[in-house]
Amino acid sequence: MDKCQTSIQKNKNLSRRDFIKTTATTAGVATIATGITLTTYVNAAGENPVTNEKRWGMLIDTNKLTEVDIDDMVNACQEEQGWGNEAHSTGNQKAGWIKKVKVKDKATDRISNLALMCQHCDQPPCVDVCPTNASMKREDGIVLVDRHLCIGCRYCMMACPYDARSFVHEALTDQKEHMPRGKGTVEACTMCVHKVDKGEKPACVEAVDSDAVIFGDLHDPTSKINQTLKRVQSTQIRADLNLNTGVRYSGI
Amino acid sequence: MKRLLIVFLTVFLTSVFAYADKHVNLGDRASELKEEGKSEDIHPDLKEIRIMHPNFLMHKRDKTLRQGIRTKRNSLKACVNCHSATDQNDEFMPIDQSGQFCSTCHQKVGTSLDCFSCHRNTPKEDL
Repeated sequence: MDKCQTSIQKNKNLSRRDFIKTTATTAGVATIATGITLTTYVNAAGENPVTNEKRWGMLIDTNKLTEVDIDDMVNACQEEQGWGNEAHSTGNQKAGWIKKVKVKDKATDRISNLALMCQHCDQPPCVDVCPTNASMKREDGIVLVDRHLCIGCRYCMMACPYDARSFVHEALTDQKEHMPRGKGTVEACTMCVHKVDKGEKPACVEAVDSDAVIFGDLHDPTSKINQTLKRVQSTQIRADLNLNTGVRYSGI
Repeated sequence: MKRLLIVFLTVFLTSVFAYADKHVNLGDRASELKEEGKSEDIHPDLKEIRIMHPNFLMHKRDKTLRQGIRTKRNSLKACVNCHSATDQNDEFMPIDQSGQFCSTCHQKVGTSLDCFSCHRNTPKEDL
């Protein structure tokens, strides 16, 4: 009995010592290993969460943008995202992710045509009002609807000063693989987030041949959009609301 | 009595194991992969993916949509691509259709799934 107890005691002591030893080694290895995995993690492109080092934006030059260009943009958007052929929606039920808007200066009668879509605000009112946190802004400035959480209350549609959002009124089938859409949820321009994440440009930007629409990182001083914004006069629509939009216009 | 118990247990266990690795309709690509013995590279533990897939999907949808992580392992598209089956005309059948991969189990246990009221229920258009 005594023997047995001492052996247990011994074992206990040993295991405690062992425990401390192993813990120390594991902790050491873990510290080094996390460093290694962290660096490799950052290096592996396309697998990391987006960060606020970038802010995606667009500059639309209404002097260069023709009406045909705008139609091309709308068509490209419809084709890319698969909206616009809702059979049972009528009138203002119809989806409109990007719209052709004509503005006329009353004093001079000057008419300019705009392509108006979600302006991807820095301070988005749609995100402020959303009761379920479905309306959200990604770290890189793209404003999206998380339709997993959207309850279809349409509060965001009322809050948006640009009328950029639409509501799906009917059951849909045959959606685009990269763009799930469904009845009872709100949708809007995603700045072709699925393409941007792959390093491509949004469909509407690709649809315009001239440099009337420039897409890029607003924060990157070497990007074309950043340099052009430094050089030319540009404005935000409803700049008085201080929303700091990602989509800028020049020539209006 | 003991013998009976042993017999009962054997019958019970074999029936469980016999059933455990079967799926009525695994989908075209997934069946191929399974025959090639590669299915374990994708789902190392069948039990885990069977029980946990709703949680995985829930977790990964947030990673994809909110953080922009778009790897194959975070993609519902990748699930649909492997697990949907073609009909006689070589056209893909909706994965949530009766008798197809999702609905075989979901009907049995009486839980509805709402993924495909928004998500595309067949693989990519030009496949």
